[in-house]
Amino acid sequence: MRSSQEIREELRTWILAKAKRLEPETLTGTTALFEERHLRSVHLPELLLLIERLTGAPVDVENLQAGDFRDLDTIMLRFCGEGRPR
Amino acid sequence: MSAGSSAVRLKKELASLAETTERLSRLSRRSYQNPYSAVEWPATARPEDEWFSSPEYLSLYGTPEWEKLDDPGRKRLAFYEAVNFYSLNIHGEKGLMEGLAARLYRKDLLEISEYLHHFLDEENKHSIYFGGFCTRYAKVYRSRQLPVAEKPPREVDDLLFFVKTMVFEEIVDDYNWVQSRDPRLERIARFINHNHHFEESRHLIFGRQLVTALWRAYSPGWSAETQEDVRAYLEQFFIMTWREYYNPDVYVDAGFQDAWELAESAWSLPAQREHRRAVSAKCVEFLRGIGLLLKEPSDAF
Repeated sequence: MRSSQEIREELRTWILAKAKRLEPETLTGTTALFEERHLRSVHLPELLLLIERLTGAPVDVENLQAGDFRDLDTIMLRFCGEGRPR
Repeated sequence: MSAGSSAVRLKKELASLAETTERLSRLSRRSYQNPYSAVEWPATARPEDEWFSSPEYLSLYGTPEWEKLDDPGRKRLAFYEAVNFYSLNIHGEKGLMEGLAARLYRKDLLEISEYLHHFLDEENKHSIYFGGFCTRYAKVYRSRQLPVAEKPPREVDDLLFFVKTMVFEEIVDDYNWVQSRDPRLERIARFINHNHHFEESRHLIFGRQLVTALWRAYSPGWSAETQEDVRAYLEQFFIMTWREYYNPDVYVDAGFQDAWELAESAWSLPAQREHRRAVSAKCVEFLRGIGLLLKEPSDAF
């Protein structure tokens, strides 16, 4: 079972691999991934699969809200049981 | 380059499609189907006794897990992969029908409206077959494709809609063609694959011609950044499309532990990567031929 820090790191690595115009130093927990078009709808299925693999649990796709994937902090809070870093 | 000149180019390009769309419409009318009477559904399916997918086309083919399975286990996996394949088609066709309906009788696409009616009608019927199988013998697997409010410029939206349709259908068609000719497959599975291949052959002709027309009409007016954006989107679409063939939900139903890790290792297996590359090859060659892709979407393979 991965720690939340490990999950966050893996998600960060994946985001940086997909968002070609995003530099590591500018990707923070609150960077708006979709609003700023670093990621697009076409990335979501792969992102969901990654979240499910990292957490070892399926995501209930029928109860997702717009904004659940807004940024890394929101993803961690919504799917990985992590609060915002203090 | 003004929007006006791209409209002129579009009109000219669509006019060159007229002969094809008339011919395809005639063929569609000739093979008009009633999906409620065209097939006799068996009362039950026997997942561990019959093949519902060609084993060589399964997502775990060639993996150590595949090697360890006995014959009923392999057939069981093949059954759930068939259910997943049909589910992917249902979800794909839902989006496709929405997009086709939204474009019916649009002034600039009037030239192809008659054929869009056939396209829409036929996609609905395909979903009736796929849904008929899934709901009778198993279930419809969930889709991980989620609606996100994206509003690209209309020209980009149109091109992406039709090129995504084409890529999705060309990959599916390879599976349909192979599985429709595989004598090991159970009767209804062969029928569904054969029927879909037969019908889709018209859509594939239309898809390639329309994508060429839209690309020729629109892309000269786009900035280098927009063109790059479209290409990046399309490359990720190949990844997204193929990823859904490696569905952990299938592996759970087929009795595997660690379904997500299994999906990841199967995805990365060299033999599976080669399979994806081979199935996608003609489509990629076409897209490179018209200049829509500049290189192979290698991250998908």
